[in-house]
Amino acid sequence: MLASISTRFLLIALLMLPITLVAAKDTASENEAPLRIAVASNFAPTLKQLLARYNPNQKHFLSPILIAASSGTLFLQIEHGATFDVFLSADSERPQLLSTSGLAMSGSLQTYAFGQLALWSAKGNIDSDLLVALSNNKQRLAIANPRIAPYGKAAKQVLESLQRWDDYKGRLIQGINIGQTFQQTRSQAVNLGIVSNSQLVLNNFKGVLIPSYLHQPIKQQLVILKHSKQIAQAERFVTLLMSKQAQQFITESGYASSNEINTNE
Amino acid sequence: MSNTHPDMLALITTLKMAGLTTVILMLIGTPLAWYLAKMQSRSKVFIEALVALPLVLPPTVLGFYLLLLFSPQYLPGQIWQQATGQQLAFSFSAIVIGSVLYSLPFVVQPLQKAFEQLGDDLLEAAAMLGASAFDRFFTVVMPMTKASFITAASLGFAHTVGEFGVVLMIGGNIPGETRVLSIALFDHVEAFDYAQAHLISISLVISSLVLLSLIYLLNRPAKNKRVKSKRFN
Repeated sequence: MLASISTRFLLIALLMLPITLVAAKDTASENEAPLRIAVASNFAPTLKQLLARYNPNQKHFLSPILIAASSGTLFLQIEHGATFDVFLSADSERPQLLSTSGLAMSGSLQTYAFGQLALWSAKGNIDSDLLVALSNNKQRLAIANPRIAPYGKAAKQVLESLQRWDDYKGRLIQGINIGQTFQQTRSQAVNLGIVSNSQLVLNNFKGVLIPSYLHQPIKQQLVILKHSKQIAQAERFVTLLMSKQAQQFITESGYASSNEINTNE
Repeated sequence: MSNTHPDMLALITTLKMAGLTTVILMLIGTPLAWYLAKMQSRSKVFIEALVALPLVLPPTVLGFYLLLLFSPQYLPGQIWQQATGQQLAFSFSAIVIGSVLYSLPFVVQPLQKAFEQLGDDLLEAAAMLGASAFDRFFTVVMPMTKASFITAASLGFAHTVGEFGVVLMIGGNIPGETRVLSIALFDHVEAFDYAQAHLISISLVISSLVLLSLIYLLNRPAKNKRVKSKRFN
């Protein structure tokens, strides 16, 4: 009796199988699941807008799932087997490490954006001359932690280029990433911060742009991860991200243009 | 101090933070626990819930609101700045205040339980013999609840040492001031410096285990836990 019930159940289930497959085919081509994109927190808002604009109604690929965190955290998760399809880092070091260790698909390493820094105060206007604004500030300065955050490393280089590092060394508030530095500056708990220009553009705030020649380029690179089961879809996503319009959009969102960087180098 | 190893500096900062937090918590927590133990009114439940809130809230939530309150935009931050001339956010004082709130239930709850289990008869007897309220507390209540006091202080201390989220939000990672061990550990992991990360982690695991074992040892039901009655004759 029991056996016959389970057999019948199995039969029904087997008969249902084609129906579920057909139903699934309607929503996704070739049984694709949404891409899982690990993205450095600083680029996440820009990426969301970009996807809304250039992939409307899932035109090129399914709406991806974004996992936003610091590049270091995401890198660790990837090293320990997290199932992401694409990794958009805030630096070049980590994607390159993944390439050399064989966790990234060979040939997929590309620079998708150049970070741009800005000096900003949420308390009001600061002098439009970078050096004057930095010299006028007798209080603390928020920067991302130079040891762990690409934007922090660049901020340190800016202070060194302007010979302000020794002056500021003892009064730095260090955020774990540029996102925290922005939040610390925005809360007005600190007078002045070196933040990412894209954060200011996103929120319509006005800061002082920091010229790219004062620091090494913040090369934000990406890789497609080798164990991804969505390689075709991942490649379509990267193609879109590297397209002329998308690159233009990224520059308008507060990132430096590659032309500007190349003339400096 | 400047040539101290950064991680030693972080350890010293951590111990300073946890030590000061524990002292403040014992001073605030004891009367609060007593008040709650003796309280009869309906609002008791609400106050108990408030005290227990840090047990269930993510520390980052607490840290997020504290950062706002400590910034010069809001009254607490303004008052502090006027009184001390220093900014409250991203200072050692800020992480101590945050820790006091964050570890409050760990001190108040064991004390409250101990006070509730205390019978009234001894206290009444002491009162009849003319002991003042303070006298009664120090000569009758405290000796009888000594173990709970030690438990409360140790738990408050241990919990503060292990704090991360609150300090992350309101500390600002300033060496020698707000850079505590948990933050130093986070930095090492993010910077791939696993050797240092392991060193801090294993030290924290061992020291916490030792401390907690001591607390549980202390709280083992003793075989003859009767209070020695003093004879008055």
